[in-house]
Amino acid sequence: MAGSHIKRTIGERIFDVFNVILMIVLMLLMLYPFWHIIMYSFSEVHLAMKGGLFLWFRGFTLETYKTILRNPTVASGFKVSVIVTVVGTLYATFFTATTAYPLSKKRLKGRGFFSFYVLFTMLFNGGMIPTYLLVKNLGLIDNILAHILPGAIGAWNIFIMRNFFAGIPESLEESARIDGASDLLIFFKIIIPLSKAVLATIGLFVAVGYWNNYFSTILYINSRDLWSLQAVLREIITSTEEAMKRQGITVTHAQTITSQSVISANIVIATVPILIVYPFCQKYFIKGVMVGSVKG
Amino acid sequence: MSSAENVLTTKKKPSAFKNFMKYLTRDKYLYLLLLPGIVALFIFNYIPMYGVVIAFKEYNIFAGISKSPWVGFLQFERLFRNPDFSQVIVNTLLISTYKLIWGFPAPIILALLLNELRNKHFKKTAQTILYLPHFISWVIFAGLIVTFLNPTTGVVNDIIVRLGGRKVDFLASKSMFRSILVITDIYKGVGWGTIVYLSAISGVDPTLYEAATVDGASRFRQVWHITLPAIRSVVVVLLILNLSNILNAGFDQVFLLYNPLVYEVGDIIDTYVYRKGLVDSNYSLASAAGLFKNGIAMILIVTTNSIVKRLGEEGLW
Repeated sequence: MAGSHIKRTIGERIFDVFNVILMIVLMLLMLYPFWHIIMYSFSEVHLAMKGGLFLWFRGFTLETYKTILRNPTVASGFKVSVIVTVVGTLYATFFTATTAYPLSKKRLKGRGFFSFYVLFTMLFNGGMIPTYLLVKNLGLIDNILAHILPGAIGAWNIFIMRNFFAGIPESLEESARIDGASDLLIFFKIIIPLSKAVLATIGLFVAVGYWNNYFSTILYINSRDLWSLQAVLREIITSTEEAMKRQGITVTHAQTITSQSVISANIVIATVPILIVYPFCQKYFIKGVMVGSVKG
Repeated sequence: MSSAENVLTTKKKPSAFKNFMKYLTRDKYLYLLLLPGIVALFIFNYIPMYGVVIAFKEYNIFAGISKSPWVGFLQFERLFRNPDFSQVIVNTLLISTYKLIWGFPAPIILALLLNELRNKHFKKTAQTILYLPHFISWVIFAGLIVTFLNPTTGVVNDIIVRLGGRKVDFLASKSMFRSILVITDIYKGVGWGTIVYLSAISGVDPTLYEAATVDGASRFRQVWHITLPAIRSVVVVLLILNLSNILNAGFDQVFLLYNPLVYEVGDIIDTYVYRKGLVDSNYSLASAAGLFKNGIAMILIVTTNSIVKRLGEEGLW
């Protein structure tokens, strides 16, 4: 930061030390729950049951994971969530971009109208029940598309992208236009390659949204083959014993695999994909997110 | 365009229609790109807006939305005569007000503290770790909360017992439930909340700080006179958004953490809509509750935005 080479007063030095300590405490506070869960999930069940702080695993066993991965509901939930996340992210990011790009062009007739058309969906929405009835009337109940389509294209993401596109200098497009390139060609050959930061950012937001979604299952899906991983996880967390029976984990198993261990291992399984993708997209955040005015 | 309109427009401006066609031809690919998004928003946002009419009807599954009989404001009367619903409104307002009071300043303070970190690598690491909880789903997060607050095996109770206290069943406690919502909400969101403030701060011209240092301004004064004014408009925009969201007390969080023991203090409008509509299949009543919420939200966002603009700040639109 500017001025760091200038002599600091004692008060400032005390503040700096205090600030660093505070941040370390906060970081530990943010990380500890995950550490705890990971340690718990690898611990021998009867040792884990005693509770307390888990700074390290007690005994080491993969038994809990084996049980979970043998469980068909978790496996199919994982598969559904991967498909929904990949397809949904491509669909939503691409069409958010195609909607945002024309709205960034001042010369577009009706731009004000279309911007308002998008903005209005931020101001008012029909709510849970009318949306449910719509999906039902579209025949999407028990269809994997019910996880993907509703809410895929959203005003907020459109405006973030539009602001980004609007910041790309017009001159970059001019020379291509003189060479006779159409708007379509310019969008795909010039704009998209220049917009990796915003595409990665929105893509990550959307992907996390799909991966973390449990509610579309509750609303639209009855067939267990189409449950998302988070919905499976929710059932395990909220109604453990009942859920374990339904998952086919028998009582004899339940003696060795406590519900808490099952919850912990499931949490780890559902979190790992995010932890893998997160660091790669993280560097784009600040560049990509330009929250501010949505006016055109 | 119909011929009647055509005549009218051609009378006023002979070239209006031709002009329109000219723009349509010139920018045909832009309109083509725009089309899928417009259609998607129409289907998944505008059709449900029409679907809201069932709040004024007695919805019948077999008749469908358009053929169900109109009942005027009957559903709203039912809603407001029900003492449960007034409790639900009180809960919603209390939970989101507490979240606003404690949760709104938290990321601002954290962003200012992060900005004062001198070691760039340390700052980056801190940011990475503090953002993380935002990306964890509420399902997983609720699982963590349930695990940590477990009355027999939870870490929190373990610590309480070691300190000589007595075990508490937090998630079944009416007096604790709202506080748990507020604290866990801040925990999950505070780091991510800093990102908009940090990006606003990063836009400050560094020479301002240099000049201030030369003039002998302390760091506290630099924060007060340079950093804070730089994030003021972002603070205002986020405050508008938060205020107009006052009836959104956090559906996922409540839905995943509450249980019948704490309905009295924890049930909010959205969870009420869910139970009335999708559990009890009382679609019209639930839509009325939803419309009540969304209608007020719209009035709030439009009003706060215009007040903010009148105060000379940049609004949301």
